[in-house]
Amino acid sequence: MSGLIQVLNNSLLSQDAVIKATFYPIAFLTLFFAFLVVMSRSIFHSVIYLAFTLIGIAGIYLYLDAEFLAIVQVLIYVGAIVTLFIFTIMLTTQADTEPIRGTVRRMWAGALAGFAIFLILSKVITMTTWHIGLPEAAFVNLRELGRSLMSKYALPFEVISLISLAALVGVIVIGRGRKR
Amino acid sequence: MLMMLIAGIAVLAFISASAMFLIWWERKVSAHIQSRFGPMRVGWHGVLQPIADAVKLLLKEDIRPAEADKLVWWLAPFFAVVPPVMAFAAIPFGKSLIPKDLNVGILYIMAISSVCVIGIFMAGWGSNNKYSLLGGMRSAAQIVSYEIPMILSMITVVMHANSLSMQKIVEAQSRHWNILHPNMLLAALVYTIAATAEVNRAPFDIPEAESELVAGFHTEYSGMKFAMFFIGEYTNLFIIAAISTTLFFGGWHGPFLPPVVWFLSKTYLCIFIWMWVRWTFPRARVDQLMAFAWKVLTPIAFVNLAITGWLLLK
Repeated sequence: MSGLIQVLNNSLLSQDAVIKATFYPIAFLTLFFAFLVVMSRSIFHSVIYLAFTLIGIAGIYLYLDAEFLAIVQVLIYVGAIVTLFIFTIMLTTQADTEPIRGTVRRMWAGALAGFAIFLILSKVITMTTWHIGLPEAAFVNLRELGRSLMSKYALPFEVISLISLAALVGVIVIGRGRKR
Repeated sequence: MLMMLIAGIAVLAFISASAMFLIWWERKVSAHIQSRFGPMRVGWHGVLQPIADAVKLLLKEDIRPAEADKLVWWLAPFFAVVPPVMAFAAIPFGKSLIPKDLNVGILYIMAISSVCVIGIFMAGWGSNNKYSLLGGMRSAAQIVSYEIPMILSMITVVMHANSLSMQKIVEAQSRHWNILHPNMLLAALVYTIAATAEVNRAPFDIPEAESELVAGFHTEYSGMKFAMFFIGEYTNLFIIAAISTTLFFGGWHGPFLPPVVWFLSKTYLCIFIWMWVRWTFPRARVDQLMAFAWKVLTPIAFVNLAITGWLLLK
């Protein structure tokens, strides 16, 4: 029995084997759902696929040892933004009656935008020098993160909150409609 | 890794046992509050009733509405069950009895439980039924609003313990429980109210208000899919009680008895209070509900957070 456990722990269930066995399925599923987001005819289905894609990306973050980022990804993107999307869909369109129909012009516009983003991202990826195998100390400590948000990056942080506030006020103004 | 597998299996076994027990207990508590006996026939005082119900639900036909959005309708019950089960990964049952002591434990639970709302929405939308859709909408609005005071009150505790890890939060209470601080008491109150709304229990069970919406988002579900919503609901109830035990009532700390016993008895006591509340208070109106979240609970939580921060920095 203990021999079996040893074997299981060393080969089949070792950290390394599990990581190798799970990374590619998760990466594939993330891409697959991202593809479905674009290809789906129903806008509601798109949002659900988007939720899966974002969860998949959170999984990828876990492989990078960025626990905090993964969790925030789920909390903000899946928990808040996808919910907001669903709300918006339900309040605005008759999403169930009208399937989305792509026109040729839209297709070209989409292809162009996608290609532009691809170019920018590949430029960024090739320009960055990648450090493979970071030392232990390089892991982002939560304490450090908080401290730098409140000191070094205080200004950008405040600017972002100001933008959010402006958006919030804007939404309320639009949502209230004209005063009678 | 093998240990983690075993922990996973143990957690799954515990969840199904606990959900069954809670369903029986809820029926008993509600019955006794209303001067009835509740289930009495199957086993001693009806303890085996949930098993009989589970067998019935397993054998029941799985009816799908003709006009339902197949994919969404089929996926929704999974969203109701999987997140609460995942949340168990960071619940500290004892000193070393925690599936995984994440250093961002409490944040992990917040994130995972925020996914639940998508499942409710999917159920409401996929059923293609106006009552289901209304139930889903109400539920989503309610959960999104009450999440804010809930998370704010959790953060109050995090600031006190100086850590996001569930074990560290418990260890910080080895002297005295958090609830003994006045500002923590306020946080506990806010948390309790918000959590009641978060799991859709009376007086905040607007999403499934029987008299208005039949059964809300799970009107069209039958058989095992309905059972999944049920299990999800009771697992969620256990999770919120376990969190309140961990954050405010000292977790597994306690004299004489082993830590697990302390943790479970505190948790089930919290659950009992939630049941008591459910069967004694009338349902709140929709507009009252939303106004209460935004105009009362959220400001209180914010002010409490600010005061706690000031006290800690003083």
